[in-house]
Amino acid sequence: MVVQQTRPDRLDLIFAALADPSRRAMLARLASGEAPVKELAEPLRMSLPAVTKHLKVLERAGLITRGRRAQWRPCRLEAAPLKEVADWLERYRSFWEGSLDRLDGYLQQLQGKEGKHGPQG
Amino acid sequence: MARKDSGAPEIAAQSTPKIVLTRTFDAPRALVWKAWTRPEQLMRWWGPRGFTAPVCKLDLRVGGSYLFCMRSPDGKDYWSAGVYRELVEPERIVYTDFFADEHGNPVPASFYGLEGNQLQEMLVTITLEEHQGRTRLTLEHAGLPAGEHSRLAAEGWNSSLDKLAEALQRTR
Repeated sequence: MVVQQTRPDRLDLIFAALADPSRRAMLARLASGEAPVKELAEPLRMSLPAVTKHLKVLERAGLITRGRRAQWRPCRLEAAPLKEVADWLERYRSFWEGSLDRLDGYLQQLQGKEGKHGPQG
Repeated sequence: MARKDSGAPEIAAQSTPKIVLTRTFDAPRALVWKAWTRPEQLMRWWGPRGFTAPVCKLDLRVGGSYLFCMRSPDGKDYWSAGVYRELVEPERIVYTDFFADEHGNPVPASFYGLEGNQLQEMLVTITLEEHQGRTRLTLEHAGLPAGEHSRLAAEGWNSSLDKLAEALQRTR
């Protein structure tokens, strides 16, 4: 079977954007409010061009938007794509919750404690 | 203006998007380890309530592959596969995880009618700690960065699974 190679989708772009500690630091800063590029650059001790490069990655992933005003183009966090990632992870959470419930039952059964049920810490 | 909605700061602080679950089982660690690493035992609990696991094949060594099938209550099969990256008996298992077809070839989630057109590889880390005959399990399920996804298609899963089949023949 041939696995289709398609262009990177949204989740891939988001994962790639989140994979870098500097970009996560920028997002963390933006979580408390919009900020100009200069303010994002300062704590990271990075040149403005380097910061601009990171911002482009974040922008392409839809994680931030930038203001239109020429001099002062504040960056703003966009929460919707992060919600998308959270929803996607939720699918795995429900799979694991179900499996671990069954594992619990199986381990009880193995030890001859079949009757014992209830929440496990 | 402050934006603190949707739990965004929490996700932003993590290295990759992930879920973390912990569970304490009233069983010694050695028993829990076996339940995770022996096919005949995995088949007894793998998958949500109402599901069965008709196939669990694994080559339990670092670099070894696994191929699991879970069957939904209405008879639909979902295959998943991956590679063991760390095995520290009886305390730690790390493996990659992706949707697959019945031969272990990676497929996107959309193959199973789920959201997602891309191949997505996940990294699962299981940690087992024993306290007074009880075992605390911590499960971390994380997305791998995009760079690792592309490696997935290139790794030649069919040949690793052929090796798995051979290994399984030998152990019979």
